[in-house]
Amino acid sequence: MNEFVVALGWAGLFSPMALGAIGSVIGCAVAGQAAIGAMVDTDSGYGRYIGVSVMPSSQVIYGIVIMFSLQRDVTPVSAPALFGIGLLSGLALLVSAMRQGQACASAIHASKTKPEIFGLSLAPAAIVEGFAVFAFVFALVLAGGIPG
Amino acid sequence: MAHSDRYAMLLSSLPYHGPLFGAKQTPLSRIRLNQRLALLDPIEADCLRHARRLLEWAQQEPDRTDPQAVVRAQQVIDGITNPFIRDLVTWRLEMRTLIAALRRRHRGESAPRDRRWGFGRWVGRIMQHWNEPAFGLERAFPWLPEAERLLRRGATVDLERLLLGAVWNYLESRSDGHYLDFEAVVIYVLRWDMIARWTTYDGADAARRFEELVEQAMAGVEKSLHPSAAAPRLDAV
Repeated sequence: MNEFVVALGWAGLFSPMALGAIGSVIGCAVAGQAAIGAMVDTDSGYGRYIGVSVMPSSQVIYGIVIMFSLQRDVTPVSAPALFGIGLLSGLALLVSAMRQGQACASAIHASKTKPEIFGLSLAPAAIVEGFAVFAFVFALVLAGGIPG
Repeated sequence: MAHSDRYAMLLSSLPYHGPLFGAKQTPLSRIRLNQRLALLDPIEADCLRHARRLLEWAQQEPDRTDPQAVVRAQQVIDGITNPFIRDLVTWRLEMRTLIAALRRRHRGESAPRDRRWGFGRWVGRIMQHWNEPAFGLERAFPWLPEAERLLRRGATVDLERLLLGAVWNYLESRSDGHYLDFEAVVIYVLRWDMIARWTTYDGADAARRFEELVEQAMAGVEKSLHPSAAAPRLDAV
């Protein structure tokens, strides 16, 4: 039983990094494709589109930081907390990166037609980023209180 | 990548089309549209091609009878694997059935006896309520009473605007929740087809074409009345 709990602890330790990376892959791919499409249809503003399309990459960075903050000896005492915090924060990063990719794709799509709304169209993506930051910050706070 | 985001690149490469009736030309040429649509999955591209073949007037065979057209339409729809496109095509053909019924009645025809004159679920109801202005379908199709009134007044341009507007709005309602997926591509292409159709309408061209047809018809009449006048003159060769 202890081995299983320890295994879960290791899974929780790597979850924020792995799930954050998966989310960033999906989000950047969606937004990146939208950016490429927009470049096909427009004659300027390419840098802006690419810049927006990499917004979902922040989640993997948050995941890496959470993983390091959780890193410690994985014992039957610490493993449940590592599993809970790691998995849930990882899931939050995964979903936020995927959805942020969609929000960025929509922003690129909209600002291609109306360049004057470029800044405003990024607001939904920024709000999604805010939620990812919540998950990140409170994972760090809780990591400080893990026993063992 | 999530299934619903597969066509992010394709959709972002398509220019915004704007409102239907304000358009002066299609947002991109047919050649460019077809180039962009090459990014579609082959099966989905096939579905879209079938749907457009069924809906575009230019691709219809004019000498086909109504029952033949209905059978053909059913065959094509059965071959469309995507349920979203199947629904859209069915709705458009049902709408055309309603307009066909209005036109038949306007010509003074009585209710058809054979069900194969039209397509879809409303055929029987139209036959039953033939003498009601909107066939009792004004709830399902709020634009139908207005279409009937315009047809009765002979306001063909207004009627065309009303019908295209109804289709445009229907596509708008069906586009909810579809942003970067195949369904969004389908809606864009069907709207492109509508803009292409609307922007090619030209009153001057229509009048010129009408005059040509009248001249052709009158030439035929002259030829039958004065055969010698119609014979080629040697000095004209």
